[in-house]
Amino acid sequence: MESHLGELEQLVILTLLRLGDDAYGVSVQTTLAERTGRTPALATIYTTLARLEAKGLVVSHTGEPSAERGGRAKKHFRVTGVGRSALKRSLADVRALTQGLGSSWSAP
Amino acid sequence: MTPVGHRPPRLAHWLLGRLLASHAREALLGDLAESRAPRAAYWREVLHAPRTWFAPRPFVTTTPNAGEGRVPQFLMDVRYAWRGMTRRKGMTAVAVGTLALGIGASAAIFSVVHPILLRTVPYPAGDRITMLWERDAAGERSNVGFLTFDDIAREARSFDAVAAMRYMNVTMTTSGEPRPLAGQRVSPDFFRVLGVAPVLGRAFEAADDVRGTPNVLILSDATWRDAFGADPAILERQVVLDGVSYSVVGVLPAEFENVLVPTAQIYAPLRYDASLPWACRTCRHLRVIARLRPGVTGETSTAELDLLAQNLRRDHPSEYATGGMFSESLSRYVTRDVRPALLALLGGVLIVLLVASLNVSNILLARGASRRGEFAVRMALGAGRGRLMRQLLTESALLAVIGGSLGVLLAIAGVRALVAIAPTELPRLSAIGVNGSVLLFALLLTALVGVLFGLVPARRAAGPQLQESLRSGARQLVGSDRVTRSVVVIAEVALALVLLVGSGLLLRSMDRLLAVDPGFDAEGVLTMQVQAGAGALRTDTLVQRFYASALEAVRQLPGVEGASFTSQLPLSGDYDGYGVHLQSRPSANPSDDPSAFRYAVSPGYLETMGIPLVRGRTFTPRDDERAVPVAIVSATFASRHLQGLDPIGQRVRVGAHDEGPWREIVGIVGDVHQESLEAEAPGAIYLPESQWEFVDSQRSLVVRGDGEVSALAPSLRAAIWAVDKDQPIVRVVTAERLVAATAAGRRFALVLFEGFAIVALLLAAAGIYGVLLGSVTERTRELGVRAAFGASASDLVWMVIRQGMTLTLAGVAAGLALALGLTRTITGLLFGISAIDPFTYAAVTVCLLLVALLACFVPAFRAARVDPMETLRAE
Repeated sequence: MESHLGELEQLVILTLLRLGDDAYGVSVQTTLAERTGRTPALATIYTTLARLEAKGLVVSHTGEPSAERGGRAKKHFRVTGVGRSALKRSLADVRALTQGLGSSWSAP
Repeated sequence: MTPVGHRPPRLAHWLLGRLLASHAREALLGDLAESRAPRAAYWREVLHAPRTWFAPRPFVTTTPNAGEGRVPQFLMDVRYAWRGMTRRKGMTAVAVGTLALGIGASAAIFSVVHPILLRTVPYPAGDRITMLWERDAAGERSNVGFLTFDDIAREARSFDAVAAMRYMNVTMTTSGEPRPLAGQRVSPDFFRVLGVAPVLGRAFEAADDVRGTPNVLILSDATWRDAFGADPAILERQVVLDGVSYSVVGVLPAEFENVLVPTAQIYAPLRYDASLPWACRTCRHLRVIARLRPGVTGETSTAELDLLAQNLRRDHPSEYATGGMFSESLSRYVTRDVRPALLALLGGVLIVLLVASLNVSNILLARGASRRGEFAVRMALGAGRGRLMRQLLTESALLAVIGGSLGVLLAIAGVRALVAIAPTELPRLSAIGVNGSVLLFALLLTALVGVLFGLVPARRAAGPQLQESLRSGARQLVGSDRVTRSVVVIAEVALALVLLVGSGLLLRSMDRLLAVDPGFDAEGVLTMQVQAGAGALRTDTLVQRFYASALEAVRQLPGVEGASFTSQLPLSGDYDGYGVHLQSRPSANPSDDPSAFRYAVSPGYLETMGIPLVRGRTFTPRDDERAVPVAIVSATFASRHLQGLDPIGQRVRVGAHDEGPWREIVGIVGDVHQESLEAEAPGAIYLPESQWEFVDSQRSLVVRGDGEVSALAPSLRAAIWAVDKDQPIVRVVTAERLVAATAAGRRFALVLFEGFAIVALLLAAAGIYGVLLGSVTERTRELGVRAAFGASASDLVWMVIRQGMTLTLAGVAAGLALALGLTRTITGLLFGISAIDPFTYAAVTVCLLLVALLACFVPAFRAARVDPMETLRAE
């Protein structure tokens, strides 16, 4: 079944694509803040990531614990092929609707 | 634990450990530590932490971990339970539906019982309000005369306030067409006793009660709105009632309910004083109500009243019977007729709920059995028994909550239906509805039911024997499981039988009741009540003339075979009794003389009503005011009070023993039920209306017609109004309806009980069906083997049926024992039949056995179709 992306889900997937291998909770939050000015709580980000993972759009793998993390492991995230397709589709939808919207509107 | 130098706020850290879902906990806390997040960031995460619960996660039991927060686990249980329920839609629908039915019905009945039995008296400290009665010769409640009331009010110490009241029926001719109004005349302390004050204007004062001062009136809220358009200038407005002018001085609050006279629209001062002829001690037509002084009990007040009665008897020996006086709480009085029925209904519906819960319990047991493998795996993975039980209880709680919520919706619809079919004399009818108390009751039931029916299946599914059984094989467990389910079904059958017996007894009581001869021929008779006294009919003579002309006019109408007026109509709620004193047997205390219902009738009444003449003669037009006063008595009166004498020719006085003419008895007629079909037909005395010295302003017209008698109503009304258009005509009803209506209360209880019994029967049958079906499925292998060894299809069918009927018979035995004990409690509702009537028990048992047999059919056929070849192949 085709998944449709929510707004935050879209942003998170895009962020993961930018971050590549280095994508985890804090890095996603920081990137989103730098690029969009929005700082969602880590809890929100992890929830979104969990939902995306359940839909098969991203996968996670747990890394090694480290001292600077207080002995806790880091969870890395990566976009899957299905996730890329979903993202492409979502962006295409936006484009389709913004096309020819009128002179007062200039597509970003 | 934490990186060197980083000190996260301890409380926030602890909260995050509890509030985060497992998928995010490690990573998020690590992130916060790694980025050395400030305190504010930790608290921000605390606020957002609950979001992590709403990520979908497959349910995997991890090793028991103290860090698992309880709250998210519960939500996960709920999600899992929900998924399980939606996966098995059929079973869930049945379980939820059954619960909804049980909880809904219970809540609906509670809606009725709550205001009537638990909040009977909607006044402040209502349990302190009592009715004061004299006891008549038969030991029953008797109204009180004004002078007696006056003495009580002055001398009794037990009460803060005492008031007397009587009915009031008048016609208002102020605005537009004449409008009949019903209400009460009350002494000044009436509203003080109730603890109610008018919301506009004032209550009555002592000055209002004095004859000669301007007449005043208090309106109910509904009357102020309906009759006066909620006129804001209503106070001091003049209203003309029966030709007399009243000034409105108060309007009662909208929430005020008069539990004694629910239809009261107006209130006026009683205005009695000792000089009035009808204020005498023996003129017992007032009801007295009082409020107990703080600290005084009902018993204390009765003791004081008895003492007072003794003194009164000593001072006025011929005016008081030996019975004394007593006080009775208002709530007891108001609910005296309905309490037994309502309690029985509450008991019945709770039995239905129990049966429903047992049914759902069985469904869950069956499901639990099939999930045993799943539980075994999870326990092997480390899930504790408590964990599994908690999850199962969550499932039953979820079922209960959904069932309960649907049940409340059902209850709302059910209550509306109940109120529509409820008998109108039900007290506090207007207060019946699904309110906060009812919802609380439904909530409690839901909780109770959820725990009850969830516990046994949870224990069995996740119980200690689970691990053992997996070692020793499933068969043992299946066996003991079947026993539990069988026991549950036996209980269901037993309870269903109890309800069936109850409704069977009520049904037969109803039959017996309706078979009672009312004493008159109700078929083809139409009645209506005329309330003369408005407009031009100011004097007794004019009233008398009006009724004579009206009767003339009515008799001329086509289709009228016979017509007559009577002061009192049988089975209509009229209640007019007088003392009757025998000339040849004067008694020491005339107050101990018998009383009888008095009927002042036009000639032809007895014939119109079809009341049989036993001896002597009926009235003729020659028995008028100039002739010798005569009377006719009922057979019961003659046999009870005139034994040893020939009633014909005896002379009696009606009313006061020392005043009024002696009337000669000229005839004896058959008994007529006045109050109800079940009450014993009382003594009755009939008098020609022209020979009764007080003129009855309200009379009922009885008309016998050929053909459809209710079609005569318009022409009858027209004929009466042609004589005087200002006289209201009310209570138009055929005699047949009157007779049927007397059983309205019983019919209500009966309909509900039958409903309960049918529901319980269906549930029990479903229970039997379920157990047998399950049994056949489980024993498929065994059945196949038997078939392979030569058992025929009918052998297998017989096996199943035998199993089913054994369960049923066990249930029937238990049920009969229960019923014999429990039906004792509804003896008060039965009529003409004993609580252990063998025919009813037998009939009901047979019915139940037949239904059970039907329930065995599908499982039996399933057993018969077991293919031995397939079974052996599967081995």
